[in-house]
Amino acid sequence: MSLPMLSILLLISFAGALALILWPGVPCPETSKRFSLVTLAAQLLWSCALLIPFDGHLAGMQLQEQASWLGSLGLDYRLGLDGLALSLVLINGILSLVAAAVSSTGTPRPRLYFALLLIISAAVNGAFLAENTLLFFLFYELELIPLWLLIAIWGGRNRAYAATKFLIFTAVSGVLILVAFLGLALASGDLDFSILPDQARQLGLGTQLALMAALVVGFGIKIPLFPFHSWLPDAHTEASTPISVLLAGVLLKLGTYGLLRFCLGLFPDAWALMSPYLAGWAAVSVLFGSLAAIAQTDMKRMVAYSSVGHMGYVLLATAAATPVSLLGALFQMIAHGLISGLMFLLVGVVYSATGTRDLTVLRGLMNPQRGLPLTGSLMVLAVMASAGIPGMAGFVAEFMIFRGSLLTFPLATLLSMVGSGLTAVYFLLLVNRVFFGRLAVTPVRPDSPTHNVLLPAVPLIHQLPAMALALVVFVVGLWPQGLADLAVGSTTALSTLPQQMALAGRPGEAAG
Amino acid sequence: MTLANDPLSPSGTSPEALIEALLAGETLLAESPNHVLQVVGVLQSYGDVLDAYSNNLIYQGEHQFLNLFPIYRYLDGRVTPGRLWKHLIHDRINFEYAEYCQKAMLWHGTGGLDAYLDSAAFLTTCERVIALKRRRDPILALLHPLFPEFIVEQIRSITTIHALGQFWRVMSDLFLDLAAAWRRGQVGSIAAVVAFIRDGLVAAAANPITYSVEVGGETIRILPPEARLTFLADVAVPYVEAVFLRGMPFLGTVSFNAQAWAIPHDQEQFRYGALFADPLPVMGAGIPPSLLMQDMFRHLPEELHDWYRSQGRGDGDVHVKICMSFQKSMFCVTNAAIAGTFPHPLDSSDPGQAEANRAYAEAWVGRLMGARLDALPACGG
Repeated sequence: MSLPMLSILLLISFAGALALILWPGVPCPETSKRFSLVTLAAQLLWSCALLIPFDGHLAGMQLQEQASWLGSLGLDYRLGLDGLALSLVLINGILSLVAAAVSSTGTPRPRLYFALLLIISAAVNGAFLAENTLLFFLFYELELIPLWLLIAIWGGRNRAYAATKFLIFTAVSGVLILVAFLGLALASGDLDFSILPDQARQLGLGTQLALMAALVVGFGIKIPLFPFHSWLPDAHTEASTPISVLLAGVLLKLGTYGLLRFCLGLFPDAWALMSPYLAGWAAVSVLFGSLAAIAQTDMKRMVAYSSVGHMGYVLLATAAATPVSLLGALFQMIAHGLISGLMFLLVGVVYSATGTRDLTVLRGLMNPQRGLPLTGSLMVLAVMASAGIPGMAGFVAEFMIFRGSLLTFPLATLLSMVGSGLTAVYFLLLVNRVFFGRLAVTPVRPDSPTHNVLLPAVPLIHQLPAMALALVVFVVGLWPQGLADLAVGSTTALSTLPQQMALAGRPGEAAG
Repeated sequence: MTLANDPLSPSGTSPEALIEALLAGETLLAESPNHVLQVVGVLQSYGDVLDAYSNNLIYQGEHQFLNLFPIYRYLDGRVTPGRLWKHLIHDRINFEYAEYCQKAMLWHGTGGLDAYLDSAAFLTTCERVIALKRRRDPILALLHPLFPEFIVEQIRSITTIHALGQFWRVMSDLFLDLAAAWRRGQVGSIAAVVAFIRDGLVAAAANPITYSVEVGGETIRILPPEARLTFLADVAVPYVEAVFLRGMPFLGTVSFNAQAWAIPHDQEQFRYGALFADPLPVMGAGIPPSLLMQDMFRHLPEELHDWYRSQGRGDGDVHVKICMSFQKSMFCVTNAAIAGTFPHPLDSSDPGQAEANRAYAEAWVGRLMGARLDALPACGG
């Protein structure tokens, strides 16, 4: 019997969380942090070990595991791995470790905090690996409560408001997704709940459209896409730095993963029919996110709105559904995870050093001796990566998306390119205001005296996670083939689903 | 209190308070043990640096005269692979700052030295120098007819270099003597520091500033004794004007847009000198004060270095702290210069003399408004 590698991957963090909760006595904060770091490092190593048996050029699921669970409900424990899932498992492994590494040991109730962090990481992996829609839904919901607690307990001043808003939005998202999954099973009369494109083809196109619409809105809330985005800036603003890193880097990817895996994967015909409208929606979301980011005066809200814009690219690429655009969508998920994670880390450093994220207050943090020069330099790198400067991950992703979508949806793609240009606008505004000029952390007025600000120095070791992320941004940017080799089989298979379905017969024929 | 958040214009630095302090013979810089440590310590390191600057400028004046490509001018005539390597990796004194000061003096051009550089006597000397030099130097022979002002301007420049070297020779010795006196316990307050510098300036005030070079076997007196140029009036005061007060705007320290008149059209209105410089941008790449702070850092006395380590980010922001201390010490030097140049004794009972002194003090304080007066109070050490 082969080693159940995927179950072991899930087990590592779930068992770690359980062990931390059942730890005899009260572990000191350092012990809790160290334990979770070791657990997440083991999870990342095991995720990397998945690369050994995995063949990226194969289209289907690999390393599949199956166990009967609640067969009467159609809920089977079925895990599988394709290039899409593996890439996201890897990014989850990296960012979970980074989030734990930058978590403070001064956090109140550290045992609970780190246990919740481990649960989220394992649940997200579970969602990426699930080969059963109900199992996916379970994992999808499982990360919701720990994240809500992490915002509600360890968040900022308005954490109750932000956490409740997050809970309501994502609960609605969950309900819509569950309705779609159940609706698919009930309408097709098959309680298998496996991820099978053939299943939806037994339904009429109207039913497919209705079910897919529920899924698109459900995942659109999670991504988030305009106009379902309003929970995200609030959640980011109130969440602590590590949680923002996870939220932006990993949890939003559940939404985009859902678009590819379930919306496109389960309803290829309906998706193809709706794709022009989805591309238009993507362009609106990109432009709205970018323009809203320009108007922000809080660094975190600006990065949050940039996420709304950048996630719009994924919708555009998925709508186009060409081999190149889908590979670009995956690159964008990875690139955005790395870059936004890096940005939230750096904003966190700025906030802890200055006590503010206000763009009207911060000035000149690049000051070489009394400012945060390394943080500023890394932020410039992150901004360049986000704006799509060649040599970094963002460029590869955006180039592939635009190249892959341009011929299919020229207007939407061109409008999204404008959004890419706007990225440079708002992030250069951020860098210019916060990092250039004379060092100041008070509003600068001509009649007010200037102050010789002395910010606390940030030890190099605290900057290591951000430096590591910046390095990965370069690696992906300079060697995109590595990631492409992992996922090209899966994304190409997804892109050819409509053709495969067409070859198999027209929609509704089987039902008819 | 830490060095953080020092206000720029704290109470007690109003123009009236400064005028009264000057007229009462009090110091601009507040009395405090930390101030004494900073001022004496930083002046000691400055004295060491000025010693090297002075030696180099005088060397340039004597041995690089009309050398149009003086690529080894910082090596004081001792060009070895080891010294060249140290020069390239900046394991050396940054003589670029000395050149920056010299260029500021030449460009702002105030006082007796500048007046002499524009005189007919000086131009006659230049003609003689050029006539002698072009016999042996074909490049000069070619350049001079094409650009008649070029060689003359070169001579003005090297003359200023030599004069600044002479000025700094005196100042270096004065600052090192001050540190020695402090170690002997003879100087223990800011007032004593200012008095020491004032006495040193007054003692050297009448020192002649002269400059001679040998060209074609003939000794040419570029600044002859007959010009009656003296240390205080003709070099020290123009130096204060050019380097302490006016300075030059340079990218990185001051954000400016010359086309939008962000820089005054009239260079007399310039306020970019050492007393106005913002310590925070220190250590930006290529900024002249950064070079000076690095030079002083390499010569810091141990007592002051220990104190810096206990403040702020320790060695992490030491250049900023040196710059702040340097500014305090420059206020003391300015204070001494003002005290030594009042038109009449401060204790004069003649109302006319008192009025003249007040007008003199007001004029100086007017110049100092807008300077980094936050350096003056005792807060921030």
